[in-house]
Amino acid sequence: MKKTINIPLGSQHISLLEPVRFKFECENEKIIGVDADVGFVHRGVEKACTTSFKFDAIGYVVARVCGLCAITHSLTYTAAVEKLLGAQITSKAKYLRILLLELDRIHSHMLCLSHTCENAGFEAMFMRIMGDREHIMEIQELITGNRVQFDYISIGGVNRDLAPESVQKIKENLYIVKQKVQGYMDEFTNNWSLSLKFKGIGMLSLDDAYMYNAIGPLARASGLRIDVRNEIDYLPYHEVGYKMQTHTDGDINARNLVRLAELVNSIEMCENILNGLPEGDIFTKIKGKPQGEALMRFEAPRGELMYYIKGNGSAMLERVRIKTPTFSCIPAFSHIFLGGDYADAPAVLASFDPCMSCTAK
Amino acid sequence: MFTSFIKALANLFKKPQTIDYPVTPIAKDKEYRGLIEYGEESCIYCLKCEHACPPGAILFVPVENPSTNEKNKKGLAYNYNPYLCIYCGECVRACPKPEEALWQSNKKPDVAVKSDNVNSGWFELEKQHKEQL
Repeated sequence: MKKTINIPLGSQHISLLEPVRFKFECENEKIIGVDADVGFVHRGVEKACTTSFKFDAIGYVVARVCGLCAITHSLTYTAAVEKLLGAQITSKAKYLRILLLELDRIHSHMLCLSHTCENAGFEAMFMRIMGDREHIMEIQELITGNRVQFDYISIGGVNRDLAPESVQKIKENLYIVKQKVQGYMDEFTNNWSLSLKFKGIGMLSLDDAYMYNAIGPLARASGLRIDVRNEIDYLPYHEVGYKMQTHTDGDINARNLVRLAELVNSIEMCENILNGLPEGDIFTKIKGKPQGEALMRFEAPRGELMYYIKGNGSAMLERVRIKTPTFSCIPAFSHIFLGGDYADAPAVLASFDPCMSCTAK
Repeated sequence: MFTSFIKALANLFKKPQTIDYPVTPIAKDKEYRGLIEYGEESCIYCLKCEHACPPGAILFVPVENPSTNEKNKKGLAYNYNPYLCIYCGECVRACPKPEEALWQSNKKPDVAVKSDNVNSGWFELEKQHKEQL
């Protein structure tokens, strides 16, 4: 007689924001088998990019893949096209691109931390972090002119210059958020609901992180030193004070602490950029049609984002392939659940910060 | 215990985080990315904005009574769909006479109602535009 029971988590579940299904095979409370299914919201973005839109409009199309990392998507695509066209962009545009990329990371990590709190049953902290996240959204609106869909990156540079009067406001908001993040660090290390409860839950060892191809904060929390910002020279990350943040525990608490440390580092980078922004143009006009193949990677808030594009010298591209961080991490996710309690599964899942709109694009 | 009691009391007299929306309007940034506006007198009908627009929210369609602008040799009329527009500003960048013929304001579009015929009216224009090509 069969001794195990199958319990699905999703595709609609109280702890999930987006549709994903994990089928757990449980023996009493322990999970002994996991099956993941992510294809619930396919939107055909890749196909649309090769059939309905010209190459210079696709930067705005792929920004709609994900609301949280919209800048990272459009930047990775744009950088790939610029590589094909052999374009050189000004250093001011490069620094502004890093600024927006880091603001993207800050507000995405804050969203993840607030959901971790919500899954721990700490609703008040969830509301606080979401309230503080508004400061970052305000900065993004000041710079790009919109709160969510930024449409800031264009082929050849960026769309808007930074107004001198808004720099002061941005610095003030960043300072407020920095103070708040110090407060969260205290809560996430000393508060029982957020630290001790999470210690030793959802473990991923260094060897397993390597073997199951974990990337992003999930890998860095296990001590795997992997970060695209450290590996590319396309954007001057080392000049703005980038430091890799790692932890060795590999549990939920470690992931939270890595994200908090990255928040602090990203805020510092933003401040450095604002203090030392070079003079110059923000946009260079680029002519030509993409011909050949290009591959570009960037560090999205959740890990490595990769774009492959293939052009044939006409305005329509032949192929656009998007490899998103959550999709690459699914083997690691499934491995982490094994051997854990079913009751911990929602909290473990929230700590991965899965982005389904990226995955099922 | 004591501190949390004081905090709870203080919270009763704190200003709320939210605003009283319909009474107090939302503060709008003056650099807000809003509607694209068009000056017919300065337009040279080069159709660069139409080609540059990513979602295709600008269409030049032939009409029976075209404007008296001498550059308008084909008898076209400018059509703009604010509900399709993503406010990216590519059309303004492509325009040879920005600020005079085409510019971006910080206004928001009105809420569309049924009588505006937003969908089928626009589909009709798209059809006419296709036939012209």
